Amino acid sequence: MEFVTIVIYLSVYMGLISTSFYIMSFIAGEKKKKPLYTDKELVNVKVTVIIPAYNEEDTIEKTVKSVVKSRYPNFEVIVVDDGSKDKTFEIAKRLETADGKVRVFHKENGGKGTALNFGIKKASGKIIFTMDADTTVHPDSMKKMVRFFKDDTVMSVTPAMVINNPRTIFQRIQYTEYALGLFLRKAFSALRAIYIAPGAFSAYRKAFFDKYGGYDEHNITEDLEMGLRIQYNGFHTENCPEAPAYTNAPATFKELTMQRRRWYFGQVRNLWKYRKIISRKYGDLGAFVIPTSILATLFSVTITIYLFFKILFKVKENILFLQSVNFDFPSAFNINLYVLERFLFLWITKPVVLFTLCFMVILGFYTFYASKKIGKPPLMLLNWMLFFLLFAIMYGFWWVFSLFYSLTRKTIKWK
Amino acid sequence: MEQRQFESRKRYVAAIIIGTIAFIIVFAASYALSYFELQRVSNLQTGVGYDIFEDKLDYSFFGISPCNTSSFEKVSRDLAFQGRIIDDLENKMGKQDSGVLLRKKFYSLIEIEHFDFLKTFNQQCRQKHNTILFFYSNDDSEASASEEAGRILGVVHNRYEKNLTIYSFDIDLASDLVNKLEAKYNVTDSEAPVVIINEKTMVKLPVNIGEIEKHLM
Repeated sequence: MEFVTIVIYLSVYMGLISTSFYIMSFIAGEKKKKPLYTDKELVNVKVTVIIPAYNEEDTIEKTVKSVVKSRYPNFEVIVVDDGSKDKTFEIAKRLETADGKVRVFHKENGGKGTALNFGIKKASGKIIFTMDADTTVHPDSMKKMVRFFKDDTVMSVTPAMVINNPRTIFQRIQYTEYALGLFLRKAFSALRAIYIAPGAFSAYRKAFFDKYGGYDEHNITEDLEMGLRIQYNGFHTENCPEAPAYTNAPATFKELTMQRRRWYFGQVRNLWKYRKIISRKYGDLGAFVIPTSILATLFSVTITIYLFFKILFKVKENILFLQSVNFDFPSAFNINLYVLERFLFLWITKPVVLFTLCFMVILGFYTFYASKKIGKPPLMLLNWMLFFLLFAIMYGFWWVFSLFYSLTRKTIKWK
Repeated sequence: MEQRQFESRKRYVAAIIIGTIAFIIVFAASYALSYFELQRVSNLQTGVGYDIFEDKLDYSFFGISPCNTSSFEKVSRDLAFQGRIIDDLENKMGKQDSGVLLRKKFYSLIEIEHFDFLKTFNQQCRQKHNTILFFYSNDDSEASASEEAGRILGVVHNRYEKNLTIYSFDIDLASDLVNKLEAKYNVTDSEAPVVIINEKTMVKLPVNIGEIEKHLM
């Protein structure tokens, strides 16, 4: 048996075990009752929404207006213009209100972390929401998320991140990726093992920042660092899939690859920084969730590299073969009913194909769960098919690319 | 920081059991599908073998003309179809699978029967149907060249579909019949892949379609 075949079956076996484990954890989590703030209690829990912005003149107004429309009883909005070169500051300034509910500040460009820390210093709320300037939020999302802070060990709450109006192939793939993440995030929350809070929209207890410091200003994935820091200090992050936040996703392959390079590069660095989490001391998170995630990534990278070279050799082999038959394409690739029948037989009897079908069913179930929570998007089946056809290849490619990049260069900028 | 509790240790045990069962079920399903295909080949072989023996007896025992082209073409098509299925099964279940090896032996027997019948057909019916005997090897050192030659022969077959029958023989198959055939056409085990065209021309290690085509009628 080839080495790569062993890797493929190992990853499938691990995938089946972890999927079973997460489904059981999800079911157990659904049954568990969690302490939640009532509407009456929420009045006394002031919220500050911090929106750092850099060159966001096209989206800032929509973002601020979506927060202002929120049905949360007691909140303020702080926009921090991080030295934009466009009209972001002027547009945001027009939205400022006399009662101080919306305040806009300007500072020299220093990166997202510095803008968030600037906002935290100005905040008067007990709960801090950090929000990207190209994200919008449902009017009830803040209310639903803040309820979870009744539990003193909860330092952060994540929403249901949804891709806003997906149009391109890559946005459709990301739509499904985010939707599938809803199920897993819920399962992780049942295990108290969420270690990533989306930078686009997440809630934090201000007391945590006061005690453990603000964002790491030199970190390119400061949101991931914060998520790990919360876990590292013995607290945890909750998830509220009923609270949607809509974000703009990269539209082209290049933009998406740049985003993922930053994410994965940051993930490697932050996991290394908090490597002590990978131990039994951190329960399910340290003993299972993070180790299986690392293993799955290693398997994916190995398989991607192998497939790349296999395809390369196959192409070379086919060119040589075509040369030997004087490039007679019709005879060399004579597709008839027999060939199709045999092709189907050979594929259907491959265990890998049967496993793929199994995982398709499981992911179909995850998608069903997501559509119950965030609604059914137009052309959902198309999004799903695109995801299934392309995501695994792209995921492996991004990781190989990011690892190669992290081994050859030292820094990646946020913007 | 205090030691964090595991949510449920029993859940891990249950997940391992469920994952292992699912893993085994998928492999078993895959093997079962291949096994059913092997059974199908077995039934097909019996049918094709019967048809060839019947046609031969019609001619040799009952004196009926063998020149009915439609029946000949049907048997030839079935034989080619079967060859391909055996090839697929070999890829699927492994070259050393005892079930596949048995089918291959039986297939070689039917091929030789068909070859013999084709020679009669050419003589009695004044036909010029080409024949190619292809001796290949699955041995590691020769498998790659044999596969390459097999792909070239596939193209030759597509080009001369109506006027050519290719008979493939695995020289590593422990079959007396194949050994006798090798001896008859002076093929030695170390020479694979070898192609015998119309019983006259031997081409060793063909690497270009032209080397074969120039000898066809």
